[in-house]
Amino acid sequence: MASILETAASVGVFNTLLAAVDAAGLREALEGPGPFTVFAPVDDAFAALPPGTVQTLVDNPPQLARILKYHVLSGSYSREQLVAEDNWDSLEGAPIPIRSKDPFEVKNATVVNADVVCDNGVVHVIDRVILPG
Amino acid sequence: MDLLLLLLIPLLAGLLLPLLPAGSPWVRRGALAAALLQLLDGLWLWQHPPAALSANWLPRLGLRLELGLDGLTMPLVLLAALLTAMAVMASPVDQSRPRLFFALMLATNVGLIGAFLARNALLFLLAYELILIPTTLLVATWGGERRAGAAIRFLTYGAVSGVALLAAVLALGWLQPGGLNFSYTALADHNLTALQQRWILALVLLAFGLKLPVVPLHGWQPITYSQAPTPVAMLMSGVVSKLGAYGLLRFGLEFLPDAWAAWSPWLAAVGALSAIYGSLNAIVQLDMRRLVAYSSLGHMGMLLLALAAATPLSLQGVIAQMLAHGLIIALLFCLVGLIELRTGTCAIPELSGLLNPQRGLPFTLGLMLLALLAAAGVPGLAGFVAELLVFEGSWVAFPWPTLVCLLASGLTAVYAIRLFNRVGFGRLDNERADWVSTSWGERTPALVLTALVLVAGLWPSMLTGFSETATAPLALRSSDAVTVIAMAPATVNSAQLPA
Amino acid sequence: MTATVASERIKAPLIPPSTHRYADVIHRLEAGGSMLPDTPENLKQIIGIYKAYAVPMDFYWRDLLYIAERVFLNPLPAFKYFISQEYLDRPNSYAGDQSQLRIWRGGEKVHPELLEFMERGETGRMSKLFHHLWHDRVNMEFAEACMQAMLWHQGMGGRFNDYLESDAYKSNADRAIKAYFKGNPLMLGLYALFPDMFLEQVRQLSYTANLGLFWEVMAPVFFEMSDIYDEGGFKGVPDAMDFLVNGIFAVAGRPIYHHLYIGDECYEIIPKSEGFTWLYEAALPYVEAVFYRTAPFRGTKSYNAQAGQVPADQADFHYGILYADVFPVGSAGIPPTLLMQDMLHFLPPYLKEIYREHRRGEEDELVQLGITFQRSMYNVTSAVIQALRCALLYPLDDTNPEHLMANRRFFEAQMDRFLRPEARLPDIQSQDYR
Repeated sequence: MASILETAASVGVFNTLLAAVDAAGLREALEGPGPFTVFAPVDDAFAALPPGTVQTLVDNPPQLARILKYHVLSGSYSREQLVAEDNWDSLEGAPIPIRSKDPFEVKNATVVNADVVCDNGVVHVIDRVILPG
Repeated sequence: MDLLLLLLIPLLAGLLLPLLPAGSPWVRRGALAAALLQLLDGLWLWQHPPAALSANWLPRLGLRLELGLDGLTMPLVLLAALLTAMAVMASPVDQSRPRLFFALMLATNVGLIGAFLARNALLFLLAYELILIPTTLLVATWGGERRAGAAIRFLTYGAVSGVALLAAVLALGWLQPGGLNFSYTALADHNLTALQQRWILALVLLAFGLKLPVVPLHGWQPITYSQAPTPVAMLMSGVVSKLGAYGLLRFGLEFLPDAWAAWSPWLAAVGALSAIYGSLNAIVQLDMRRLVAYSSLGHMGMLLLALAAATPLSLQGVIAQMLAHGLIIALLFCLVGLIELRTGTCAIPELSGLLNPQRGLPFTLGLMLLALLAAAGVPGLAGFVAELLVFEGSWVAFPWPTLVCLLASGLTAVYAIRLFNRVGFGRLDNERADWVSTSWGERTPALVLTALVLVAGLWPSMLTGFSETATAPLALRSSDAVTVIAMAPATVNSAQLPA
Repeated sequence: MTATVASERIKAPLIPPSTHRYADVIHRLEAGGSMLPDTPENLKQIIGIYKAYAVPMDFYWRDLLYIAERVFLNPLPAFKYFISQEYLDRPNSYAGDQSQLRIWRGGEKVHPELLEFMERGETGRMSKLFHHLWHDRVNMEFAEACMQAMLWHQGMGGRFNDYLESDAYKSNADRAIKAYFKGNPLMLGLYALFPDMFLEQVRQLSYTANLGLFWEVMAPVFFEMSDIYDEGGFKGVPDAMDFLVNGIFAVAGRPIYHHLYIGDECYEIIPKSEGFTWLYEAALPYVEAVFYRTAPFRGTKSYNAQAGQVPADQADFHYGILYADVFPVGSAGIPPTLLMQDMLHFLPPYLKEIYREHRRGEEDELVQLGITFQRSMYNVTSAVIQALRCALLYPLDDTNPEHLMANRRFFEAQMDRFLRPEARLPDIQSQDYR
């Protein structure tokens, strides 16, 4: 099997996310043993943000890292485990609410592809960038 | 002749104004010019004291055209001329039926000046009665919603006052030794018995007590003052009521000193009652005009107290209070009128936040605060000087009534602050507050009066300077005597005084 | 009438209409509108006041940063409003050629109208000191009042306040304080005696930096909006709101930090690496503290706390511009008057004309522009609400009824804050409120 980042790179719809991970200097951490649960927004999700949003974040790595960390949980959790709880604490610190089991919705994003298992964790593909608050 | 001019100016103007074409702006201007001219004449006469005028008019009735100015009447004449001018200025520019209105105002002025100038009781009576007619008409025609009731009541009380005065004057004239003569000099020199004096004094008290007024003769006052149009209320409260105090001083204290001295404790008590009654009533009023009216009633009570005490100091206080109160009360009515003109109401519960710097009437309310403080006797303003003289002068004679009056004066601050708090502070109703700010033209009379209130407070001799020599001879008691009724040496009638 | 029915039939609603007291406003928000009705006059008023607000704001943010970064703990800060040339020339990060994200097409230096006002004031050309003493200047006191509202209300989301209590912050502040007072045994002695007092002052300065960085963004946003309007760019109030929503997102990730400069040396009291963002640590707390809460202003109305006239819970405070009674504006020294006075100097001519035509004309401009400001801030708040909806909830054209209901619940919860009688939301629905 491949690591989370390798898996993401092979799919080809996570270019923005991967670039952001590099910009924020999180690659090393995500290459680590983890395990992590990653909610991975597709490129379209980033593109849906108003113009300038991503650029400002990329220019400011610590701030970008914070937003990205909101998409990561410590530990490896499948869809089944996730829907059992209402909230999960993200690496950013703020909780991620599970709003719906079916369809599987994380905060205001819908999981379009759940339980992509990798070496160092699980990836759930989401259609929208989730933001703390 | 100089004296006659004081009367002729408003008389001629009053007769000529109605001849002007309807809608002419010169009606108002003419009235104002006449009043100002009269004021100038008065000021000139102040600096150049005129000789008394004496001419036969109707000798068979004892009516002589006797006019004179002394330290007692000089300030009152100036006050009357000033307040007439201010009242004309305070009338709206678009005064309805201006020709009649201003003619009647000037007629009132003629009566007032005539009464003050008169040195003959019959002439005084004539002028006194003359005032009643134009003022009644002014209230009845241009007054507020309840003007008819107010006018009828004012007329009734005024008529009673007139009849009582007529009786008193006739009695004085007939009973004095020199034959039918109503000259003041003759009237002062009578030898009436104590009983006769008391009967006549009773009539005099009734006549002028109604005019001041004092409790319990005040029934006409609150409604008349609250219903009268602003300029008329200014003139009535400012000068016409002072005629009552002047009458008491002249006919009571000067002509009937023995009876006056005998009854003075009772008069002091009535004065104290009026003061406290007026102040307490003012506290609970819900209408600004009525509040000012009751405030006036309270201050009239203080005047009566000082008259009753009749020490040299208290008599100076009487003159000072007449002037100070005349200025302050006219200022208050003027400001209340301005507020009513803008907001459309005088009801205290309906108004608030008028101090609002942008949308309220901050200028008007600022002057209002000053006027209320002056009425409450705050140092540095006209009311303080007057009240200090009244209280200090009366204390030696009647400590308890003086204390009550002091309390009433303190209550002035209560209703002043209450009014200011309700009307000035709080939230301005934006729906209602859609009015323009007051123009400088509208502010002028209030500004002039405020300036005088300030100047009189800082330079008290303006209030007392005229009258020191004129009132001292009238004193019945000396100022420094702690015990009651120590006869002053210079009493006009040093006749036997019942102890 | 028929047109409305027809359009409703085309857009068959997925969820039933709201029964909220402000249902009209909620439906407008759901249609992508603002709390402020979309009328040409409203658009003209709010854009005009944005411009008049942006000019003094260009001074506020510069001076706030000057105070936070340079004046710092000066025990006698008599000259803290005498901004240095360096800060006056400091390039705005969102305007001018050097900016990475250019919001305003204008220059990066201080606005020329502001310079002109600083030179002449209302009174005329005279020394800076006299302008200051005569109070013929930009009222920084207003900016500081806003900062203090943020400091005082504290817990309003974001991590900023938590960080101010952390050990990392304390040691950073300690280093900065010791460096600032180097060679000053008196102040160092006082610091040794009362360390918490100094620390609290530094916390206040951190909020000063926070607000300065917040407004550094808003000034170019408002300038750009004014320029777009002058070019005929906005078609209605929703356009203006959308511009703000996009602006909020665009700069959301801007770092919020507090640096102290002693000479050329920089002491990072709150480093950028803490990851504090403009949206979470500055904008949202600012809106909460200043638009909604603040505190009763002295000199406007008396409150009796013991009679329950002031809420026991700070979150229930409702003295901000959205609830403000604008009529006492004009009373000396109160923050609303200070702001209105500042804006009065920079009103565009078309706004002055509106004021001349209503109420007392030029005499009560302060109140009229205060109410305009209130309208404009309802629009800014609308933008914040829409931005939050966009960030945390669902698009307005979402086809899932449950998502639309979630949006509805969010909007209704926001409108619940305006149910209290002091709220001016009902007033601004009418053009007669002036």
